[in-house]
Amino acid sequence: MRRRIVITGMGVVTPLGSTITEMFQNLIAGKSGIGAITRFNAKNFPTTFAAEIKNFDLAKHVKDASPWNNCGVNSRFAAAAAQQALENSGLLDNTKIDRTRFGVYLGSGEGIQDFNNMISMIARAYNSETRSLDCVKFAGEGLKHFHGGHEAEQELHTTPAHLAQYFCLEGPNFNCLTACAASSQAIGEALEIIRHGDADIMLTGGSHSMIHPFGVTGFNLLTALSTFKGDPTKSSKPFDLNRDGFVLGEGSGMLVIEELEHAKKRGAKIHAELTGYCSTADAFRVTDSHPEGRGAIACIAGAIKDSGVAIEEIGYINAHGTSTQVNDRVETLGIKKVFGDRAYKTPVSSIKSMMGHLIAAAGAVELITCIEAMRTGILPPTTNYETPDPECDLDYIPNKAREHKTKNCLSNSFGFGGQNTSLVVSAFNN
Amino acid sequence: MVVSLRRAVITGIGALTPLGINGPSFHQALIEGKSGVRGITSFDASGLPIRFGGCIPDFDAKNYVDKKDRKALRVMAKTIQLAVSGAQCAINDSKVDKEKLDRTRFGVIFGAGLIASELNELADAAVVSSSGDPIKVDLDVWGHKGLEVIQPLWMLKYLPNMLACQVSILHDAQGPNNSITQSDVASILALGETYRLLCRDRGDFFLSGGAESRINILSMTRHSLFEELSSNNEHPEKACRPFDKNRDGMVIGEGTGVFAVEELEHAKSRGAKIYAEILGFGAAFDQKKDGSGVARAIQAAMNESGIDVSDIDHVNAHGLGCKISDRIEAQGIRSALPKTPEVIAIKSAIGNLGAAGGLVELVASLEAFQTGVVPGTLNYENIDPDCPVPVLRAPRELKKNCVLKVSMCQTGQCGAVVIRRWI
Repeated sequence: MRRRIVITGMGVVTPLGSTITEMFQNLIAGKSGIGAITRFNAKNFPTTFAAEIKNFDLAKHVKDASPWNNCGVNSRFAAAAAQQALENSGLLDNTKIDRTRFGVYLGSGEGIQDFNNMISMIARAYNSETRSLDCVKFAGEGLKHFHGGHEAEQELHTTPAHLAQYFCLEGPNFNCLTACAASSQAIGEALEIIRHGDADIMLTGGSHSMIHPFGVTGFNLLTALSTFKGDPTKSSKPFDLNRDGFVLGEGSGMLVIEELEHAKKRGAKIHAELTGYCSTADAFRVTDSHPEGRGAIACIAGAIKDSGVAIEEIGYINAHGTSTQVNDRVETLGIKKVFGDRAYKTPVSSIKSMMGHLIAAAGAVELITCIEAMRTGILPPTTNYETPDPECDLDYIPNKAREHKTKNCLSNSFGFGGQNTSLVVSAFNN
Repeated sequence: MVVSLRRAVITGIGALTPLGINGPSFHQALIEGKSGVRGITSFDASGLPIRFGGCIPDFDAKNYVDKKDRKALRVMAKTIQLAVSGAQCAINDSKVDKEKLDRTRFGVIFGAGLIASELNELADAAVVSSSGDPIKVDLDVWGHKGLEVIQPLWMLKYLPNMLACQVSILHDAQGPNNSITQSDVASILALGETYRLLCRDRGDFFLSGGAESRINILSMTRHSLFEELSSNNEHPEKACRPFDKNRDGMVIGEGTGVFAVEELEHAKSRGAKIYAEILGFGAAFDQKKDGSGVARAIQAAMNESGIDVSDIDHVNAHGLGCKISDRIEAQGIRSALPKTPEVIAIKSAIGNLGAAGGLVELVASLEAFQTGVVPGTLNYENIDPDCPVPVLRAPRELKKNCVLKVSMCQTGQCGAVVIRRWI
């Protein structure tokens, strides 16, 4: 008999709220967290808006914020969301559990790069006549102007280490950074770590912000971001015919997942059961999804099979739904291939229409949204849905939340490079 | 613990290291006591406090990938080029007929790190939007004129998941695909996850590896600000001194190590050469920084493997060459295995290859299985009572058939793998 894994703690920091209740209320009210970028001067970039987290103060979330003094917002959001998830699970300062059986698997992004310093140093060290960089000059500048502590925190393994150190989580510790699929994949692999018996509890999820000059530069150059000229709150239009790219968001979603008997024994409140996971690769191109969605299809089908849930029992799909032309078309195709006729009877929505794309953190926040949807019996809408696309012809819960009871949800996450991850979460039934 | 009937074996090795290309030449150089730590020549490092590293001279990815795939190299940073080159070497060594592989059961799991931008690619944009005043960049100009002079695919060249993704694309590997970004322990965690995936029937053939190159002006500048680096510019080959009393920091290196990891029956049915079987894996976090995490990772891997400490020929250590890290590791090894087998530290000869390190180092043990000779540890001259492990100095004959590999990083993440020579 395979070990069953349940979710016993959740926490979020998102553009639509930094508690689960606030975030979910805003989602079902169809509110938007998207507005002009304030984090830096983006007014001349092709894209000038994003879904930012405003007025975030880590000291209001954790007892001692000092370990994060040198960190970027990626680690700071993670700390706040992890604190909530651990409190919610009753494990924060719980001395009765074996901390060596409590691990961490995150899909967490890079720290914030020191854009201004780096670019001005390149400008000073570059010789336009010889078209080459003077490395000696750059080194001199860098040694003088870079801040060692900040530079260390850019590295990709620091966030899971901070959480493990601060919250005393001594089990297996992983971080994957598989672009937009990262936190879903982390949750899936954390599930497998417990199933296999390498740990009994895992803190898992993701954290990311790419709302910085390098992030917006990179995505703008790839023409992946919306450059909508009207009201920014209308810019993210998943599945709408006139969608023109995704909108950057930022934040963190964290879950405590736990082996069922372990959770029961300590009388934990069980939010849901994590039943299915699969990851695949398109193996097609770095920029585009496979046009027939071969990786997405294998991934969705694989996660449902892993869950043991019948297709007709999946009552809601939280789509990756980025609002790019290709993703939304291919994802729709993938759902139809796996669900057959049932696809038209299964509500699908993308909360990226409201909070943008949290990149590595997106999947975790979306899985938490599924759990809240099951608990409340209310499905969040896809907002800004105005003009149907003949190639995207499913029920996207347009613009208004819907009362709809469901016991199983599918959550998809697909990333640049052809990374696909799907998760199935189910109402807990003893 | 879930017991699987499926068994994972290593059937191919690809390695590009500061001491040679692929297993046999790398191993031979180690046996000869050579060092791959040398002065940096790929750029002018004279402005840096540390001017040497474990460098690969004359790396050119075009020599490794298929002619038809060379165009793709243009959107790959050096780290990614190393990864695809290593993967090709592993495929070649495995002699697998890719046409016969079930592509949906062909996975790619890599360890990766932060990839430094090539600064020249941003130079035009920097010059147009910065007057040169420190910290002053005109974002109004950057957002408009700056963007126009940067390559459109710029970002994709540096995303850490592109090691595994580019490998999957070049080899049409549609199975599980992951990129583990855990610094120096990344490739051992990737190997462990590969082992788990294979045993739980998610694939039959995997490329599992890691690659990293920090021998560039940006990484070397950044790392010299926050890492404990050896400053032995006069004698680079003496710089990395794992477990030695006079160790004074790590040496940054570059390279890639990639294994073909295959389900045993799958390997047998195609008559593959088998190097070793993976018998156990463990991971932990050293929260107390006292080696207890290292010890727990080792114990988990040992328990799963079912072998006894007396079956271990040697421990292939992390052996970073830093004051605290080596002490923590040695104490962890000692406490997990009081009858401590001999320890080797390959970093003494090549430096710290970051996300590639664990697997490249393990190549030394896999080749010891092949040749019967175990390489020694360079620069171990003065015993440090704080590091109570027996360090093997000179090469010796292989006496037993199992090896324990330990990897860790200074923030506390630990991983351990047990492998057994295939006889």
